[in-house]
Amino acid sequence: MLEVNNVSKVYGEGSAKVVALSDVSLRVNDGDFIAIMGPSGSGKSTLLNIIGGLDYPSSGEVILNGKRIDNLAENDLVDVRRGKVAYVFQQYHLLPSLTALENVLLPLIFCGANGRSSKKALDILKKVGLEKRAGHKPSELSGGEQQRVAIARALVNEPSLILADEPTGNMDRKTGAEILLLFEQLNQEGHGIIMITHDPEIAKQAKEIVVLQDGRIVGKINSE
Amino acid sequence: MKLYRIVLKDMARRKKRVLFAALGVAIGTMTVVGVLTIALAGQARIYNELEKYGANLAVTPAINNVDTHLGDLSLGTLAVGENYIPEETLPQIRQIADGEIRKARGITDQGDIATIAPELYINTEVKGTSVMVVGVEPNEENKIKTWWNVQEGKYLEGTDQALVGAVAAKLLTLNTGDTVTLNGSTVTVTGILGETGSNDDYQIFVPLETLQKAYGKEGLVSSINIRALCNACPVEIIASAINQNITGVRAIAVKQVAEAEMGIMGRMNRFMWALGGITLMVGLFGVVNTMMSSVNERIKDIGIMRAAGASRNQIMRVFIYEAVIIGILGGIFGYLAGTLLAYIVGPLVFQGININFVLQYLPLSLALAILVAAIATVYPALRATRIRVADSFRSL
Repeated sequence: MLEVNNVSKVYGEGSAKVVALSDVSLRVNDGDFIAIMGPSGSGKSTLLNIIGGLDYPSSGEVILNGKRIDNLAENDLVDVRRGKVAYVFQQYHLLPSLTALENVLLPLIFCGANGRSSKKALDILKKVGLEKRAGHKPSELSGGEQQRVAIARALVNEPSLILADEPTGNMDRKTGAEILLLFEQLNQEGHGIIMITHDPEIAKQAKEIVVLQDGRIVGKINSE
Repeated sequence: MKLYRIVLKDMARRKKRVLFAALGVAIGTMTVVGVLTIALAGQARIYNELEKYGANLAVTPAINNVDTHLGDLSLGTLAVGENYIPEETLPQIRQIADGEIRKARGITDQGDIATIAPELYINTEVKGTSVMVVGVEPNEENKIKTWWNVQEGKYLEGTDQALVGAVAAKLLTLNTGDTVTLNGSTVTVTGILGETGSNDDYQIFVPLETLQKAYGKEGLVSSINIRALCNACPVEIIASAINQNITGVRAIAVKQVAEAEMGIMGRMNRFMWALGGITLMVGLFGVVNTMMSSVNERIKDIGIMRAAGASRNQIMRVFIYEAVIIGILGGIFGYLAGTLLAYIVGPLVFQGININFVLQYLPLSLALAILVAAIATVYPALRATRIRVADSFRSL
């Protein structure tokens, strides 16, 4: 379970001060599928980064499975990233010099890969429907395929929570729908998902929609 | 798959950058290797030169000198009577000299080591002109006076022969084949020496035995020149051992020339080390610059790796691996280029220098290059790991 309590994020000081998040509170149960919507600059990505320990809040707290993670030192955050939380980005963020399979293997290498790692990575690539493209570099893959690799990479450590920042933002409707289908499947398998999106159609698939504006939560819609 | 494989793959994608960084490292190590190679070859050359400087020990009779002074003004030394060294001290002197050299260099073989050349001086008149005739052991003398070259005729080969210095030959109008009468004995001029610029030019050299017989000085010599084989030989220790153990002689270490030469060499070495060090520093800044931009280019990749669970230490390791590879490449380049540099520049510094590949400098070069690359990498890499993951994506 994830709890976000009264989180604020302020960039800069004095007249240059920008409030990205203001007193945001959120509760995500295990296995929930939450969509975050809102106009550009409303603080969606900042919220997601803080939840995932990629950024620190200015105030407030983030509690993951009963443990505060907002004030963790960098070395302890590594443990969070290695197991409980995984990210999927709009820009895929694959390493260009590695093949699809090696990109999926990456988290396992950092955890200390063993002999079964390659098999595991290949299984997960199969799950996202890309086993035939395992030896290709990102530059040889389409956007949808790259995002599948990124999702496979997120899954390889079996995270309880997947944070996705506009994962279909760079895709045509058809490809986006396929990716979304994959997320729904993962959600049904028990992975919690928090997804940023601009697309109301996509948001509808979520159990709950959180709407942000100017750094504040202005609405929560339960789609069920 | 291991972390280093990721590094290798990533570097393979950035060949130009890697090569550039390696060249930056290579420039520094090249200078150091070049300097060391030249210095080593130069030292060997100077040692060779020094071998030719002749005696580094002179043994003279312990004569009773009367120093004449007038107030503080020295009027020189007045030698009282004629003074000689008995020839029977020669084996003793050899024993002392060879013994000390063996001790200093840790060698045990029993052969003769030092060259010991006795000389007998007789001031006489030839064709009405006062001239110094020197009795020598032809073989030993030739070994000490390596700069001698016989301009005309031949070197001393037997008794009753004479070798005439260049100026003496001109003044006395002596040619090969002419005869000279020394106190009733006749010797034949077999050779004329080329000019040496020393006293030798004014002297006539005859075999020691011939001169001793002619003047009734059997078993006597005026001085003994000793050349220890090596320049590191303990000439001062030998000198004091001779002074302590043999009465009636005085041994003096002649080492001013050697000391001056080695002093120049030492200063040259220090200068070259400084030069190498400075170049290495300049190279270091170049590499820091290259690594800095290399790290900056990969801030996003670093973010990706950290989001995928890489710790700061692992990111540092990625860069250390990269530094080691750049160091190995740079070290090999630097070693080869440094030797080439020595090959080109060496002869400009020391004439007739002999440059060789010094294989011991390869590990040195590698170690230096890796060290430089690592130092240059640590700071930018450390800075890169301090960036928040979220910022590393935002900056692009």
